[in-house]
Amino acid sequence: MGVEPSLQHAAARLAELLTGRVAALSDPSGRDLVFEATIEIRPLDRRPAPADVWAVDGGQCVVADARCVQLLVTRAARVRYAAGERVLEDEGELKAHLLGVGEDRASLVALGLALDPNTSVDVNLLRDRWEWDAVERAIEEAQPGALVLVDGDLVPDWRIPSTFMGELLGRAAERNVLVAGVTKHSSLARGGAPLVGHLELEAAVQFGARAMWWATVARTRSDFGAGGLQVVVARLDPDARFAFRVDLPASADPSEALGALSAVSDDAAFPGYPYPLSVADQLAACPPWLRQELWLELDELFHRAGVPLEVRERAFTDRHKLMERA
Amino acid sequence: MDGTSRGRLFGKNVLEAVFRASPDEDLFLGELLVGVDEATGRRYLFRVVDVTYGSEHREPGWAERVAGTLLSDDSRGEAGLHPLHDQALRTYRVATCRCLGYLSPEGEFRKPKSLPTQFSRVISPEPADFAFLRTKMGDLPIGHLRSGETVVDFEVGIPGASLASHVGVFATTGMGKSNLMKVLASGVMQRGGRYGLLLVDPHGEYRTSLAKHPWAGARLRTYAARRLPNTSALRVSLAELAVDDLRTAYEWSRPQEEALFELERHYAAADLRWLLDFAQIDDLGAFREIDLNGRVALNTLQVVHRRARRIVELPCVAADPNVSVGGAVLRDLQDGKVVLIDVSGLGSTEEVLVASFLTRKVLDEWSAAYLEQPELHERLPVVAIALEEAQRVLSRNRDRESNVFPRVAREGRKFKVGLCAVTQQPKLLDDELLSQFNTFFVLGLADEKDRNILRSSSKQDISALGPEIQTLMPGECLVANLEAPFAVPAKVHLYDDVVRSCDPPPARMEAAPANVSALVD
Repeated sequence: MGVEPSLQHAAARLAELLTGRVAALSDPSGRDLVFEATIEIRPLDRRPAPADVWAVDGGQCVVADARCVQLLVTRAARVRYAAGERVLEDEGELKAHLLGVGEDRASLVALGLALDPNTSVDVNLLRDRWEWDAVERAIEEAQPGALVLVDGDLVPDWRIPSTFMGELLGRAAERNVLVAGVTKHSSLARGGAPLVGHLELEAAVQFGARAMWWATVARTRSDFGAGGLQVVVARLDPDARFAFRVDLPASADPSEALGALSAVSDDAAFPGYPYPLSVADQLAACPPWLRQELWLELDELFHRAGVPLEVRERAFTDRHKLMERA
Repeated sequence: MDGTSRGRLFGKNVLEAVFRASPDEDLFLGELLVGVDEATGRRYLFRVVDVTYGSEHREPGWAERVAGTLLSDDSRGEAGLHPLHDQALRTYRVATCRCLGYLSPEGEFRKPKSLPTQFSRVISPEPADFAFLRTKMGDLPIGHLRSGETVVDFEVGIPGASLASHVGVFATTGMGKSNLMKVLASGVMQRGGRYGLLLVDPHGEYRTSLAKHPWAGARLRTYAARRLPNTSALRVSLAELAVDDLRTAYEWSRPQEEALFELERHYAAADLRWLLDFAQIDDLGAFREIDLNGRVALNTLQVVHRRARRIVELPCVAADPNVSVGGAVLRDLQDGKVVLIDVSGLGSTEEVLVASFLTRKVLDEWSAAYLEQPELHERLPVVAIALEEAQRVLSRNRDRESNVFPRVAREGRKFKVGLCAVTQQPKLLDDELLSQFNTFFVLGLADEKDRNILRSSSKQDISALGPEIQTLMPGECLVANLEAPFAVPAKVHLYDDVVRSCDPPPARMEAAPANVSALVD
C-alpha cells in the first residue's frame, strides 16, 4: 500500500517544523505567557531537600456515561514527606459531578468560585478546581520553608480567575512556602518543534550528557497577580531521561528552588522527576477497579431509587463497545 | 518464635498458599510457618517452597529499570546517588508455600482439605504447633526439627520398627551421610536390644567413633577384615558362601554364569568349598577337556579361575566352617546390637560378597523363625542392614533372583529385616525397589535426576521441595516416612555431641539376658 499523498505532505511539513530554524517560542495549549527573547541554559546544582515536601495531583474518571448526561468523579490527592519520611497519604475525597442536560450549572455552583453562570463546565475545570483546593490546604498546613509540588503547570484552567491563583501564591509567599508546578509533557514549542526536547539536545552539547541544568523560557503576564510566574525548563538529575517544564513564582530564585526540587527528584525508579509527585499521581489515579466499584454503588442507588433495570441498561450501555463486538 | 505477623495470605488453593511479606522479611526455603485463621480457629501449617519479589508498580520493567539505575551508580562509584524512596512501601516479598495441613482448635492435625480465610495472618510457629508430631517421631532420634535455617527445640526421629520397612539415606559427598548413620547407630545402641543394625563399613570410618559411644561396650560388636584393635576377626567360610553370593558380588557374563553352574554341578556342592580345589588347578585346559567335557570355553573358565583364586586368597575367607563369623553375627543381631563389619582393605566386590553372605544369613534366620518359630520371631529384634553405595546391589540390572538385597527389599519387612541403603545416586536404584523403602533421609542432592527419582518414590509429597533439597546444608535433611504427615525438615545431631550428652547404660544392662528389653517393650 502506497503512502497517501496527504500523509506525505503532512510528514514533509512536520519534518520542516521539527528541524526548522524558526525561533519563535509558543505554547499552543497555554495562555498568559510572555516568552524570553533568548534562552540561556545554566548549570544546576542540587541543594539539600526541604524538610517539608508536599505533592498534589488530581484524578478523575467517568463512572456512567449516557452521552447526554455524564456522571464523573474527581479527587485531589496529597502526600507529605517530613525529613524524607512519608507522613501523609491522602487519596482525597471522591467528588461526584453531573455534566450535561443542564446539570452543569449545579456543578458550577458547587465549585464555590465567583464564575460567570454561563461558564462552560467540563471535567478539566472540575478536577482543577479541587486540585487547587488541595494545594491551598497544603500551603496552609505546610511548615515555613516547605515545598509544595503540583502536577502540571501553575497556570490554572482558563475559567478560573487569575486572581484566585494570585491570592494563592500570595498566601504561599506569606507563609514562606514555595509552590512549584512540574509538567511531564509540555506543549511549549520553539517554532514547530517541542521546546523541551530542543533544550535537552542543546544542554547535552553545552554541558555534557550528565549535566543538570535549567533555563527560563517565559513569564506570565503582569496581571497574573502576586508577581506572576516564571516558566523554566530544567533537568533535575544527572541521569534524568527527560527535562521538564517547571513553573515557579516569579519571586523565587530559580537556582535555589530548582536545586531543592532536584533533591527530591533522585528516586532510582525515575531519576529527574520529583518522587513525591509520582506518589501523589498514584494516589489520585482512578483505576478501572475504582470505576467498577463506583458503578456498582451507583447501580445500587438507582435500584433503591426505583430506576428500572431496563432504563439503566439502555441509558448506560456502551454502544460503541457493543458495536465493536458485533 | 512469637505471634508477630510475618505476612498476610492472599492467594492460591487448598494445597498451596501465597502470602505477602514486607521487603525485609527474611524468609527461607523450607521454613515452617503458620496461617492463623481467626474465623475458624484453625492453624494452617505451611512450608515455604519459594520466595520472589513483588512491587506495587505495575509498569513492565519497573524493577529492571530501578536495578539498572542503581547498577549505573555503582559502576560510576556513586552508590547511593539514587535511593529507592519508600522501598518498604513500594516493594514486598511473595512467599509460595505448600500447605502441610491444619491444626483444629482441639489441636488435632488434619491433611489440608479446606482453604484458610483470605488475608489471614502468617506467623512463626509456636511449640504447641508441633505437639501433634511428638507421637510420630519414634524412638530413634536423629536430630532437631528445622524451620528454614532455624533449629527448633523439638526432637525428630523415626520409629525403630520402621527399620524393617527399609530406610534410604540419600546425599552427595560431604552432606552428612556418615554422621547420620552414626547417629542412627547410636539410637539403636541406646534402645538396649530392641533393634539390631548390621553396618557394613567399606572405608573404616565408623570403628573409632562408634567405639567411643558410652553404650558401645554393651551394644557394639565390631568385626574387621584386617587386624585392628578391639575388633573380632572377620572370617567368612567358603562352606557358608553360595554361588548366589558370587553372582551378587561380581559382574558375570552369561557364559561365565553358565560356567559357574557347570562347576557347581561338577563339584556337586551346595557351598563354595570347591573354589579351593578349583583355584589350585594348574592345567585349566586339561580340566576343561576332561572334567567339563569341553562344555565351557577356556577363556571363560580362566576368568572364573582368576576370581576363584582371588577369593580363596582373601585373608577374611576361610575353608574351615568353624571359624566363620556368620553365627556370631547372627547372635549379636539377635541380641539387638550394632554389628559393625569393617571391610576396609577389601575391594568393592569382596565387600559386597561379605555383605551378601551376612544379609543372606540374616534373612534366612529371621524368615525361618517367622515360618517355623513364630514365638521366637516375635522376640527377635527388628534388624536393619546398612550398605554404602547401595546402587551396586539395588540397581535395575542387578535385580536378579540370585541377589539377596532385592529379596530383602521385597520380602524383608514381614520377617523384620530391613535394608538401610546409603547412596549418592538414588537415580541408579531400581524404581520398584525404591518404592519399597518407607523412610527416606534426603540430605543435599545436587543432581536433578536424583531428586526426581526420590520425588516419585517418597511416601510423602516432596514434589515441591526440589529447591529446598538442592539448598540443604551439610547436616540438614528431610525425613519422609509414613508416620509423619509430611516430610519433616531436620538438622541432624552431630554424632560427637550425641556421644558427649549420652548417659552410660544402666549397670544392670550388662547382666541382663539378651532381648529382655525387647520382651518388655
